[in-house]
Amino acid sequence: MRAIASRPHYGRYLYLAVNISILTFLLAPIAVVVVFALNPTPFIQFPPVGVSLRWFEKFFASRDFMHALGFSLEIALLTTVSATLLGASAALALARGNLPGTRLIVATMLSPLMLPAILTGLALFQTYVLLDVGRPTWGLVAGHTLVTLPYVVRTTLAVLHNFDLRLEEAARNLGASPLRTFFEVTLPLIKPGVLAGAIFAFIVSFDQFPVSLFLVSPGNETLPVTLFNYLKFDLDGTIGAASVVSIVLAFVVVIGLDRTVGLRSYVKL
Amino acid sequence: MSDAATQRPNGLALFILPSVLLFALFFFLPIGLMALMSVLTGNPVVAPKVAFTTRHYGRIIDDPYYLEVIWTTIRIGLVTTLVALAIGYPLAHWMARIRSRTGHALLLMAVLAPMLTGIVVRTFAWMTLLSDKGVINQTLISLGIISQPLKLMYTETGIVVGLVHIYVPFMVLTLTGVIGRIDERLEQAAENLGASPLRAFIEVTLPLSLPGILAGSLLVFALAISAYVTPILLGGFQIMTLPILIYQQISANFNVGFAAALGIVLLLISLMLVIAYNHALGLVSGQRELQ
Repeated sequence: MRAIASRPHYGRYLYLAVNISILTFLLAPIAVVVVFALNPTPFIQFPPVGVSLRWFEKFFASRDFMHALGFSLEIALLTTVSATLLGASAALALARGNLPGTRLIVATMLSPLMLPAILTGLALFQTYVLLDVGRPTWGLVAGHTLVTLPYVVRTTLAVLHNFDLRLEEAARNLGASPLRTFFEVTLPLIKPGVLAGAIFAFIVSFDQFPVSLFLVSPGNETLPVTLFNYLKFDLDGTIGAASVVSIVLAFVVVIGLDRTVGLRSYVKL
Repeated sequence: MSDAATQRPNGLALFILPSVLLFALFFFLPIGLMALMSVLTGNPVVAPKVAFTTRHYGRIIDDPYYLEVIWTTIRIGLVTTLVALAIGYPLAHWMARIRSRTGHALLLMAVLAPMLTGIVVRTFAWMTLLSDKGVINQTLISLGIISQPLKLMYTETGIVVGLVHIYVPFMVLTLTGVIGRIDERLEQAAENLGASPLRAFIEVTLPLSLPGILAGSLLVFALAISAYVTPILLGGFQIMTLPILIYQQISANFNVGFAAALGIVLLLISLMLVIAYNHALGLVSGQRELQ
């Protein structure tokens, strides 16, 4: 740091300028959406002509959007519960169960991240068609669980690998039963990882598009699918309002994340 | 796998079973069925006479249109990955090296905020920016720089811009983790030995961050070639990619067998990439052991 500071500064300025441009590229679209949501005209207009909440009213008054929002929240909650339970227990088995072929199992469990999600959707869709089960809610939740499970496995494994095994041994040496050691030492220690994974699972499920695309039934669509279908034909401020609502939700989640597990642990995957 | 007599897995090993079941039923079985469907003439459940066929694959290979679609998908994926790396690296480097806790938290917010905003929403954002009457064109026209709107939407460039915006946070987060683990003292040592900061970066930090570059690039490429929303909305149905084609085969034609064959092609592209990545990672880590 000091060595850098003693040199001519323009390299440093260039570095900052490049980074600030990148941040602008990342954040400007979000700012534009907010402006657009508040602009009263029903078409894209720039600069904006005024401030109005009519698109928010339209969004919250729309039965389709509200139904989709509720359905998305329901799916995301069910997915979070199942992915967290399955992912955390899988991570525990992988880190502590002395399983043979751990590397291969981990690679397999992370593979839905690397495989195009649209294929997961297509393959599940074909399976449900072949089995003639229709498009049930559990089928959608199963698909979402599959693509969110890797996040929970990864965050939980990261915490399990980092923590000091001697803490468990100490508890054992002090006379705690394996069960008590698990609940009083292991579980509290892996909580940040499990929680981070759960929040990740919720976000990924709430925003999941490719898997849902094939698995939702008409009239029972998730919010991203409804927004997408609306966007194909209309480009008015309702989408802007819906976007702002989801941006606010996102910020609540990030702040919640910071308060509970801390943002730093969140990215140290 | 859970045969307790041969290995010595303890009771915790049993916790893997629910996930194994999930993967077997909702991942391997469906993908196996997809592979099967891609070589069948029809749906074995409803059609009484079903035979094996290679005609779905033959159709992909014989028709230059489908090969063009595959190439477009790969091309968009590659360009997106390169651009995401180019703009993700500086930001990741800054995030990994910034000293102030507040600064780090703010940068992290800035990266996570778009990531949490949703694919459809961000594609919509780019539509408002790139369309003929969008923010960019209106601003340039009102400033008198151009008189006719630039064609930014319904082009591959537009799609790439949207995809980069959507997937660059994945690149940044992957790279930040790797760069953060590189000991800063290595850079300082290089500088104390007379290297310029740029040279120290190119000869020390950059090679050490290669695993992160590979991991981030693979992730972004995999996500970009499977994107559906952004290519369809920013491409305005004019630029065809594999995911769009696959969905079209299901929704418009209900041609399940052909969609399955296209799916297998997309799967093979991804698998080849994962293998290449593992190979490259092996080379990178092998190199490091030598040093």
